[in-house]
Amino acid sequence: MNLKDCHNFSDFRRLAKKKLPSPIFHYIDGAADDEITYARNTSSFDEVDLVPNVLRGVENVDLSTTIFGKKLDLPFYLSPTALQRLFHYDGERAVGKAAKKYNTMFGVSALATVSVEEISSMIDTPKMFQFYFHKDRGLNDSCLERAKAANFDVMALTVDTITGGNRERDLRTGFTSPPKLTLASLYSFATKPMWGINYLTKGKFELPHLQDFVKEGTDVNSSIGNYFSTMLDQSMNWKDAENLCSKWGGHFALKGIMSVEDAKRAVDIGCTGIMVSNHGGRQLDGSRAPFDQLAEIVDAVGDKLDVICEGGIHRGTHMLKALSLGAKACSGGRLYLYALAAGGQAGVERAIEKYKSELVRDMKLMGCTKISDLNRENLRFR
Amino acid sequence: MSLKNCYNFEDFRKLAKKKLPSPIFHYIDGGSDDESTLKRNTDSFNECDLVPNILASVGKPDLSTSLFGRKIDMPIFLSPAAMQRLYHPDGDVASARAAEKYGTFYSMSSMGNNSIEEISNISSGPKLFQLYVHKDRSISDDLIDRSRRSGFDAMCLTVDTLVAGNREKDHRTGFTTPPKLTLQSLMSFAMRPGWVFNYLTGKRFELSNVKKKTDKGTNISKSVIEYINEQYDPAMGWKDAEYCAKKWNGPFALKGVMSVEDARRAIDIGCTAIMISNHGGRQLDGSRSPFDQIKAISDAVGDKLEIILDGGVRRGTHVLKAIAAGAKACSFGKMFLFSLAAGGQQGVEHLLKNMHDEISRNMVLMGCKNLKELDNSKIIYRK
Repeated sequence: MNLKDCHNFSDFRRLAKKKLPSPIFHYIDGAADDEITYARNTSSFDEVDLVPNVLRGVENVDLSTTIFGKKLDLPFYLSPTALQRLFHYDGERAVGKAAKKYNTMFGVSALATVSVEEISSMIDTPKMFQFYFHKDRGLNDSCLERAKAANFDVMALTVDTITGGNRERDLRTGFTSPPKLTLASLYSFATKPMWGINYLTKGKFELPHLQDFVKEGTDVNSSIGNYFSTMLDQSMNWKDAENLCSKWGGHFALKGIMSVEDAKRAVDIGCTGIMVSNHGGRQLDGSRAPFDQLAEIVDAVGDKLDVICEGGIHRGTHMLKALSLGAKACSGGRLYLYALAAGGQAGVERAIEKYKSELVRDMKLMGCTKISDLNRENLRFR
Repeated sequence: MSLKNCYNFEDFRKLAKKKLPSPIFHYIDGGSDDESTLKRNTDSFNECDLVPNILASVGKPDLSTSLFGRKIDMPIFLSPAAMQRLYHPDGDVASARAAEKYGTFYSMSSMGNNSIEEISNISSGPKLFQLYVHKDRSISDDLIDRSRRSGFDAMCLTVDTLVAGNREKDHRTGFTTPPKLTLQSLMSFAMRPGWVFNYLTGKRFELSNVKKKTDKGTNISKSVIEYINEQYDPAMGWKDAEYCAKKWNGPFALKGVMSVEDARRAIDIGCTAIMISNHGGRQLDGSRSPFDQIKAISDAVGDKLEIILDGGVRRGTHVLKAIAAGAKACSFGKMFLFSLAAGGQQGVEHLLKNMHDEISRNMVLMGCKNLKELDNSKIIYRK
């Protein structure tokens, strides 16, 4: 199996599974507790059906959309995700270049393995920096300043990861960053020698945004869950978010909003966007799916900020459903991470191309030629 | 396993799977993307229950109805389906003869392997021609003229196939027409020598109705996906549909209407019928199923045109539910194609007999003497 056999999300997933040592694959693939929310994030799209209109003349389809004041050629972007060089040695470089090629946005995580400065020197298309609120305020300030100096367009504060989620697959596989070679995981690393060779030869693994401030995640074997639980400031509140928002002084989003009440407060503190997200089912299991919750949130704040539907998206039709309900755009992490693991930049480009061609085809079949043609008239809930 | 062991959809499907090379079986069997609409098309019937009336002195129920201005003996017919000679050497001839024998419509696809004239010579039964609007409009005009001259009763224009659906099974099996022998598919062909023998010794494989106008799909190995994307006009609009309806000037349906708004417009441009269909879940995955949508459409336009439910029908009770929800008749593609692959004309006849018997038996159990009695009061939706 290789890239050209990958036609959809599950194909990329299968190829990633073949290429990655099992602890790393399961770090991407796993979620919290019983993974009920993780499954629901995708299955929630099956509760609503698309109702096409025919004979509309659809030879040209325009997929462009504007979020955070930036025009993107596609109505979806690549969510910020941590530790990308674990998945492919090019990591964020590959993801950024693929996003640039398709003129869509991508996110760089505070836990990225390539620095904002390097990204900025390569990528002039829209970029988002994702931020965790650390106990160490010096670290927080440094992240903000560096992202601003590097001309990032959007700052997203993650608010659903105040403590590490209970990812039991990671407990079993011994996933740490850098990877810990336990007896159990050793076999899996040994059977994927290419990953090991690349990991050891393609540049030192670092967390450039954190390394001046913390030892965790760099020098010592710290599990990612442990990192969240010890480093992040659990006293973070609305005042802190408001301060960060005004300090940033540009487009600012809260990532991980699920309640209508919080969405309204996000408007009050000056946010220009929110990601309706449960962190890909990786934090609070039993949490509501973004798509299940989307309509309520759009009804409450859709005219005041950009609502982004994040989580569970595997298909162009999933995006059409979210956009029809009023999301301004969709985003996802696994959406491109399996593809990154499967084939680096070429993999991510192939994934974007597949979703794009699905969207074009599905828009035509829906009788729509631009994203603003989509509305709730297109949908029927079962 | 043989025809006489085929009692239902699954049986015909199983036998077809044994007889057909795998790329061809999967071309029939597959839907688009994750096949969630394909599955829902049938599942949706389970959201609704039949409520029988007892002691109704039914006797032998009358299953006849009229459709497209012709009387038919039962409220089901064969949907248009492309390239039937891939499934059985007799192709459309087998389907048309079986339909005539059971007194119902056979439909011919623009992409049939038999010509309009050939079918008209062998069958005097009710016949529907299915049209695609090609970029080269003279192809569509020619098909309309020839269908009229050959005595077809009705015409339907497919409106849900402006671009080919994402049928991933076809990507994987390398399905093209004529079939391309990749190493991967070779094995599957080799294991079904009967099919290969018939394919090679039978009449030359061609798209008989469009061969004079285009060499696509005949001389070269071309996937159906490429054919659709090259030949069909994605700019097709209501004006084009109206033009076809006027030019045909007889019973005319749009095939693939799903929204109430479009159903209303179909009346305005002179349609006498619509086929509620999502192309058997082969086009837009995540699309609503015909049975989920029929009530809304029937409430809006049921008194102004004939509504045909196309998609997901596998049982007599599905037909009963559809009619109670407002359909004049039901049509199906996959089910009869499997029966065609399973046993040619005899296979399709066997299927139509099964369906006739199921509908008849279920009418008796429902306490209905005829289809008119099968109204809205006979079903209850669970939600």
